[in-house]
Amino acid sequence: MPVPGVARASARVVAITLFAGALAGCGSGERSAAVPRNQHALPPDTMTVDAAELGDYGGRFRIVETSGPRTFNAFLANDQPTNDVTNRLFIGLTEFDNFTQQTVPSLARSWEHAPDGRTWTFHLRRGACFSDGHPLTADDVLFSFAVIYDDSLHPSVQDLMKVNGQKFELSAPDSYTVVIRAAGSLAIFPTLVGAVRIMPKHVLEAAWKRGAMASSYGLATPPEQVVTSGAWKLERFEPGVRTILGPNPYWFGVDRRGRRLPYLDQLLFEIVPDQNTASLKFEAGDVDAVDNVRPEDYGLYERRAQAGNFTVYDIGPSLISNFFWFNLNRVATPSAGHRVGDPVVGAIRYAWFSNPTFRRAVSKAIDRQAIIRGPLFGYGFENWSTMTEGSREWFTPSVRGDDYDPEGARRLLAGLGFRDRDGDGVLEDAARNPVSFTLKTNGDSQIRIATSDLIRDDLAKVGIRVTLSQVDIKTLVTNFRSDFDYEALLLGLGSAVPSDPAMAGNFYRSSGATHYWNVRQRNPATEAEREIDSLFEIHADTLDAAVRHATWTRIQNLLNQQCFVVWLPSQMMKLPARNGFGNLRPVALPHRLLWNIDRVFVRRRS
Amino acid sequence: MRAFLIRRLLQAIPILLGVTALTFLLLQLAPGDVLSQFSQNPTIAAETLDSMRHRFGLDRPWYVQYLLYLRNVALRLDFGESFTRHQPVFAVIREGLGNTLLLSGAAALITWGLAIPLGAWAAARRGRRVDRLLTALASVGLAVPELLSGLLLLLIAARTGWFPVGGMHEAGWERLGWWARGVDVLRHLALPALVVGLVPLAARMRQMRAQLLDTLHQDYITAARARGLSETRVLFRHALRNALNPMITLFGLTLGALVSGSFVAEVVFSWPGLGRITMEALLAEDRYLVMGAVLMSTVVLTAGNLVADLLLAVAEPRLRDG
Repeated sequence: MPVPGVARASARVVAITLFAGALAGCGSGERSAAVPRNQHALPPDTMTVDAAELGDYGGRFRIVETSGPRTFNAFLANDQPTNDVTNRLFIGLTEFDNFTQQTVPSLARSWEHAPDGRTWTFHLRRGACFSDGHPLTADDVLFSFAVIYDDSLHPSVQDLMKVNGQKFELSAPDSYTVVIRAAGSLAIFPTLVGAVRIMPKHVLEAAWKRGAMASSYGLATPPEQVVTSGAWKLERFEPGVRTILGPNPYWFGVDRRGRRLPYLDQLLFEIVPDQNTASLKFEAGDVDAVDNVRPEDYGLYERRAQAGNFTVYDIGPSLISNFFWFNLNRVATPSAGHRVGDPVVGAIRYAWFSNPTFRRAVSKAIDRQAIIRGPLFGYGFENWSTMTEGSREWFTPSVRGDDYDPEGARRLLAGLGFRDRDGDGVLEDAARNPVSFTLKTNGDSQIRIATSDLIRDDLAKVGIRVTLSQVDIKTLVTNFRSDFDYEALLLGLGSAVPSDPAMAGNFYRSSGATHYWNVRQRNPATEAEREIDSLFEIHADTLDAAVRHATWTRIQNLLNQQCFVVWLPSQMMKLPARNGFGNLRPVALPHRLLWNIDRVFVRRRS
Repeated sequence: MRAFLIRRLLQAIPILLGVTALTFLLLQLAPGDVLSQFSQNPTIAAETLDSMRHRFGLDRPWYVQYLLYLRNVALRLDFGESFTRHQPVFAVIREGLGNTLLLSGAAALITWGLAIPLGAWAAARRGRRVDRLLTALASVGLAVPELLSGLLLLLIAARTGWFPVGGMHEAGWERLGWWARGVDVLRHLALPALVVGLVPLAARMRQMRAQLLDTLHQDYITAARARGLSETRVLFRHALRNALNPMITLFGLTLGALVSGSFVAEVVFSWPGLGRITMEALLAEDRYLVMGAVLMSTVVLTAGNLVADLLLAVAEPRLRDG
């Protein structure tokens, strides 16, 4: 029978031996401008990356961005162009596989949780190193979490790393084990902690302590001083022109033959002012792929694909859902003619908007197939949830809303006592108020403007007069966030990565800031919202997959029975990429092209 | 001369104050702020945005923010920090200013290098086919907006491959020799410089033509012709040199537009200059970066006008004393 104390002691010896071996795998920090992958020995714990093809070293992949990175500091990355770069430079404990839509190991090779679902233990890879050869250990993980929990800095990722408003507690029993304890259980815990990118303590701790973290790893930092934990390191940054990444010579990811990744010598982000220039650059052969293409351009690209030696990839349903909603917010700060607690839209419209029958009638009046044929150029699909058909795990085919049925809409409206009393084609309510409202959206989206036009025409057919209003996106954000100066508002909601409903708490919870129709409620305004709130708590907390699915279906059905939002079709996605790259596998979930760029390679010409 | 200079410098102060106050006020009146872009992100809590707003000082009254800004600029030459780039504004602007000056310098070369000989040629051939053709071309150049000509040239570049589609240099540029680097930058510079340079060409050419025609009607030209000098000699030795004098003053005046004249072309051609930085900062409502860029443009404009006045003052002593 083994004596526990002895077993522990020998485990410690093994750990120390392995640690020493791991350190031997790390270099002394010399850097090289060229790109040899075998200059430094592989660590004991490599990560074998699953890829369809085995590739060769060399070559580059060039992608366009309509804006450059704002910083190389992953803690401060808030926008897409910055995340696209920092997510290549820094890894998390876990990563999200955009193709399988599953959480996969990264710095943590495995993890487990205690029966209470609150304590998670992550086992780190032995011998992992930063791009300067310094060992990457549990210390760096603790440091990274300490920085994101720094309230004077308050990075946005901090909001995700809380349960019931409480921060996680972290400890490191040894250099390669991290234990994280949360205030409650959380279904997507392993996925979530991957959002904290691991940055080097040995480089950044001094800056953090003197309060200079916000300006660390800024754009002016010399590339060789940006020490990274990911597959890539910063090779060169030309402000406003391009960002160039090169392989991290210490990276622990390998292919099936055990050859260190990434295959490519360079990954380039070319910065252009807009989508039109991006298309021109692609046409001129200056870049290898375009990430964002409008549906009206799909045909154009397809016609040119053969001559231009590129392929237009059909990447399936978008994860962006589109909808409009009616303003049910109440006045929070008093002003002339508005008392606190009064409906923002006034009593008459509030009486219509707050009635689920009215909302359902509106939903039934809209011909979604016409929107697919028109603004989406045939590349669209009907969608009834924030988790579209693009979500492998969370799309629920049985969930539907009130679809096109103009007769049904007229019946519902008649049931509310709405009649055209003066014969002008517009319904009036019982108090003879003409039934009309203004639909707002952002004027820079042609698809949304064209969709609004169709909605106006459809609703006119059932006797509701819609006035359209287009403003710039910032005004629109102010309208739905703070001044509530709108009656109905049309918008889209992109899925977060990972695409899990639990990530959309701000939308579903009645207390959420993006619970658009009635934001930041102290107490749920309706019984349905109260039920959604409690179902969402269960859905987000439980580790039981069956319960999560059951609650998720119920939440969606409740939302659609009440018709809090009027769903509109989503887009089928296509994107063009040049031929000649192996393992390139564009997907609908962002980043659509770069999610597996560590294994993409340039095919040899035969 | 010194009094003149001091007077002009003092006059610049209210201009700078007015421009900064107006810019600040307009930014304040614009809907939303630099954090609006994050408001749609369901993973960012409202409290986070509030804490960022506090950190950026955006929760204070606008006049307090403005006075603090003025104090920092005046006393410490501290132009603030860019919210979106986490970098001092001065560093961001310095990085763009050089590129902008390169572009507008090349454009000025095109404008003046073509305007003077073409204007002179048109004047010498007044009323003939060449003159009419140049007048017609100038009118077209004046009528086509910079944006349109820029996009057309980009399209041609993409289809033919003769010129790169925007940007300032190829990837791997830093590994080239100095000669190859120069050629690479020139290839990237050609189209945007052409677009910026062609806009004022028509006006400058017509001015040159008018000046020369004016001079050709002077008595001393008639006298020169009467002396039996050849027409070439009359034109180059006597008329042209005198006609150029007012053009030099005009050149001084255009110095002021060196920074602001290329904004549209920079955006269209992805040229990493001050114009693009300003445009991006405006869209993101990156307040102090916009302020810095506007301030820089104003300083260059004021300085350009000052140089023009100095040139004029050297030529016309009466202005110094007036």
